[in-house]
Amino acid sequence: MTQRYYEDVNIGDETEPLERVPTTDMAIDFFGRDNPTNPAFSDIEAGKRLGVGGALVPGLLKLSWLSQYVSDWAGPDAAVRNLRAAYRRPDVADRPLTMAGHVVDKRIEDGKPIIELEVVTLADGQPSTRANVQVELPTRG
Amino acid sequence: MSVPEQSLITDEHRAQVGKKSDPLTVVIKEEDARRMRDVLGDTDPRYADGTGIAPPYVIAGMGGGPRRGMPQVLPGGLLTQQEWKFTRPFKIGEELQAVSQVYDIRDRLGGRYGYSVLLTQGTEYYDANGEHVASAMITITQFDPKSQRKGDE
Repeated sequence: MTQRYYEDVNIGDETEPLERVPTTDMAIDFFGRDNPTNPAFSDIEAGKRLGVGGALVPGLLKLSWLSQYVSDWAGPDAAVRNLRAAYRRPDVADRPLTMAGHVVDKRIEDGKPIIELEVVTLADGQPSTRANVQVELPTRG
Repeated sequence: MSVPEQSLITDEHRAQVGKKSDPLTVVIKEEDARRMRDVLGDTDPRYADGTGIAPPYVIAGMGGGPRRGMPQVLPGGLLTQQEWKFTRPFKIGEELQAVSQVYDIRDRLGGRYGYSVLLTQGTEYYDANGEHVASAMITITQFDPKSQRKGDE
C-alpha cells in the first residue's frame, strides 16, 4: 500500500480500476449467517420479486468495497472521513463490478487536508453506485 | 396498487420526524470486524487482529443502525442513498451508544412503481465519554412491489 500525500494529489487524478465479483455467499457472510438480512440478498426469486432480475447485491457491501478502495488508494496514514453514495441501479450477484474514480476536489477544511473523490461501481460499463468520498491525507510538511 | 389519490403518509408517520430514539448500546466485536474484512479481502495491516482497531465499514453491520424504528408506509424497500461519517476510528471492544431519528419522509410520484415513499433516517454513535464517533444515514425508497410497471421485472 503506497502512501499518498496531499501536496502530490491533483484534481482529475484517476484511481486504478478494480474488479470485484459479488456473490450471494459474500452478501450473507458479510452481515453474518446468524443475522437476519433481506431475503433478496440470497434468494434469486425474492430478488426477482423486487424487480432486480436475480439476487440483490447489498448496497452496504458495495459501499464497504468503495470505502476499502479509497482507503487503499490513499495509504496507511490516511483516514476516510465521509462517504455519500447514491444507488442508481440495483446490482445482481455473480455479475462483475468495476470500481473506478477520480479526484474532484482538494482543500484545507478545519485545518485538515481533505481530498474528495468521486468513485463508482460500474456494471456492464454503467454506473450502478456513485459516491463522493472525503479522505484526510497527510502532508509532507 | 395504482397511484393513490392522497398521500399514504399519515400524521402518525410525520410525528416521528425529529424524534430521537432511546440510546442502544452496541459493541464493536473483533469477530465481526474479522468476518467483514475476510469477505472484502481487506488486508490493511491497520485493521489486522491484535491492532485493536476495526475498519470503518463495520458500521454496515452495527446493531441499532439507521433502519431501527423506521416507519413502514409501504411493504417493499430499496436503499437508494447512504452516507457515513467518521470522527475517529472504531476500537475493538468499545461500547457505543446509538441514537436514531427520522429526518424526512415524503411522497414520490413516477418512477418504476408509480408511487413510492422516500424515507431518510440516521443514527449517531457516541462513545462512553459522550464524544461523537460516527454516523450513518440512509434513504429508503418504499414501494408496493405489485405496482411495478410491466417490463421492469
